Amino acid sequence: MPRFHHALTALTLAFAAILPAHAADLRIGLAADVSSLDPHFVNIAPNIALSSHLFESLTSIDPNGKLQPGLATSWKAVDPTTWEFKLRRGVKFHDGSELTADDVIFSLDRPATLTNSPGPFTSYTKPIVAKQVVDRYTVRLKTATPYGPLPLDVNSIFIVSKKAAQNATPEDFNSGKALIGTGPFKFASFKRGEAIELVRNPQYWGEKPAWDKVTFRILTSDAPRLAALLAGDVDAIENVPTADIARLKANPKFVLAQRASWRTLFWQLDQWRDNSPYVTDKAGKPLARNPLKDVRVRQAISKAINRDALVERTLEGLAIPAGNIVSPGILGNAKALKPEAYDPEGAKKLLAAAGYPDGFALTLHGPNNRYINDEQVVQTVAQLLTRVGIQARVETLPLSAYFGKARAGDYSVALLGWGSLAGDFALRSLVGTPNPDTGWGSWNWGRYSNPKVDQLVAASLASVEPQEREKLAEQAATQALKDYAVIPLYHQYASWGLKKGIKFTPRVDEFSFAWQFKPE
Amino acid sequence: MSRRGWFSLILLAALLLAALLAPWLASQNPYDLATLDILDARLPPGSAALDHGGTYWLGTDAQGRDMLSAMLYGLRISLAVGVLSTLLALTAGVVLGLLAAWHGRWVDALIMRVVDIQLSFPAILLALVLLALTGPGVSKIVLALLAAQWAYYARTARSAALVECQKDYVAAARLLRLPTWRILLRHVLPNCLPTLLTVAALQLAAAISLEATLSFLGLGLPVTEPSLGLLIANGFQYLLSGRYWISVFPGLLLVVVLTCCNLLADALRQRADPREAGR
Repeated sequence: MPRFHHALTALTLAFAAILPAHAADLRIGLAADVSSLDPHFVNIAPNIALSSHLFESLTSIDPNGKLQPGLATSWKAVDPTTWEFKLRRGVKFHDGSELTADDVIFSLDRPATLTNSPGPFTSYTKPIVAKQVVDRYTVRLKTATPYGPLPLDVNSIFIVSKKAAQNATPEDFNSGKALIGTGPFKFASFKRGEAIELVRNPQYWGEKPAWDKVTFRILTSDAPRLAALLAGDVDAIENVPTADIARLKANPKFVLAQRASWRTLFWQLDQWRDNSPYVTDKAGKPLARNPLKDVRVRQAISKAINRDALVERTLEGLAIPAGNIVSPGILGNAKALKPEAYDPEGAKKLLAAAGYPDGFALTLHGPNNRYINDEQVVQTVAQLLTRVGIQARVETLPLSAYFGKARAGDYSVALLGWGSLAGDFALRSLVGTPNPDTGWGSWNWGRYSNPKVDQLVAASLASVEPQEREKLAEQAATQALKDYAVIPLYHQYASWGLKKGIKFTPRVDEFSFAWQFKPE
Repeated sequence: MSRRGWFSLILLAALLLAALLAPWLASQNPYDLATLDILDARLPPGSAALDHGGTYWLGTDAQGRDMLSAMLYGLRISLAVGVLSTLLALTAGVVLGLLAAWHGRWVDALIMRVVDIQLSFPAILLALVLLALTGPGVSKIVLALLAAQWAYYARTARSAALVECQKDYVAAARLLRLPTWRILLRHVLPNCLPTLLTVAALQLAAAISLEATLSFLGLGLPVTEPSLGLLIANGFQYLLSGRYWISVFPGLLLVVVLTCCNLLADALRQRADPREAGR
């Protein structure tokens, strides 16, 4: 009997070893939840990550953040305010219909028609003032003023099938009925907060994906996500918990992939209200004015934060202290801007000079399931602020509730992480004077507003000469950070854990696309 | 009372005392962010503090909180919430249970049907829903626990009182035309107490573990003021990476508290049970 048992075990093991090679299935553990399947509804990474499997854009971004052809094979500026895109011929949507210029125009129009979005895509579509179909495979996009980065902007707008999306309701998107794109994968199923299943699109025009079926499992808690990888429930996970990096490195059955990412974490501070809802005196009574409007107070907050300790202790070294809004290596990162040195005494002096020798109280808000150790980071900063006399309370909530409230201006000091491929882009969304008509400042929760910064960003965006654009973007960033428009904390590292036998190319934008994973 | 009973009672009293004296016993106020030092984060047990020369006997958590101090303060919250909600639920349950037993008929039917409905919900579910509606705070947790637990006492008080009400001494008291409240509180209630106290000791354990569960799930208390459940939750992500102390020590403390409550309940039950008297 025992011998038979052994034989059975051996047989099972043999099958277990063979099976994965036959059925090319990939299971990926995602760290953030997908809030909507509508590709034009919320401009946040988890949603974009999923949409990128089903849809494509006119242009694409390679793993290093460089612009590449996408559904458009080429583009050029026919005059300073007109860009012409030549579409790839013979690209089929998942329903078999062909991609034409009409679908492109429809997709570029659509974000502006969606109301109530907690993070709209309109800052990418608003610069386009006129759209013109030249022929079935050519579109022209006009801007009011010369606008260099348009090809990068349109990368954020997914091209949907006009036929499928025209009269679709949000329910049609979540059921998959309207999820008709040109991407390498087709939609199979969606269980909110649990899992998303995709299947290979056999008609894909580009490199065929290596996987027949891809399952994304939503595992927002760190320990269960890692446990799922260790137990073999998933083949790969993103956002390896910082506490377990060392352990995973030591385990021969798994591989760790890492790279410095584009994401910068910073504080948005309420700079528009005279009475900010979460800033009070230490007894909890409202203050006569909003201290966050005073640049000295913002500088004091920045000086009170020990970025080195934050990075080393709370993030276990998985970040670089930041003095910039965009990560090193990205256009608009001004090398002269260094991370603010930790100076608690200087912070106290600044607070006293601003009229708060005894400090005041505020609440720091942040998500608790989005960025690496986000809740811990908020707590650590609260601790550091309390040490210079700013009594800080902490409130963290899940991403789904957090962004909507932050955008509505419910908070006084709120944590935001932002990844951008160009500094002027980041500045336009984060510190540009909010204007629903132009789409500027769509993520400027603190409503900082400085015409000089707006001008510099506008000039940078208008320049077609890369070197000039770089100079202007750096000037704009320098000005905004001199005003402490936001308080940068650190640039994040991204890490992935993989089962041995899977190859992976990490991306600077932190995305975990199924086609980055390849069987070895 | 058995030796086990005495042992658990003494241990529980000692823990209660430690919790009460936490501000004097603890080397750090873990709820005052200014006393925490991020540079002392995640130090193993027995490490020396970097700047003030103290020793972290049970290590520190990810924010540089001294685990021993945090556990004393956490125990304070856990016990306070547990005892307070048990007392409130006991009072509410006893009043309603006695009323039901005394009046009978529709009063009894009404109260007992509410109890039935209440008992058909898992306590944790009810507490979760209530906390989601009311928002965080110690008083909200107490309320949620009260709502989740009064029914047990009401049911017990009613059945004990029903038995007592059949007895001659109650009939005698009625013949003397004593007021109802006096019969119930001075005559019936004292005779129901042994059973009720046993249930109370058990439910105290349930209340404490329910509070710990709720905090573990991140409901109820602010992250900067961890109770035992939240401390366990905080250390949870480090369990696999070998930093056991953040989760394990508060976990052990919770186990000790709960075991003591259960042993005490057992001893009380034995004392109250005539079949086991004299053992």
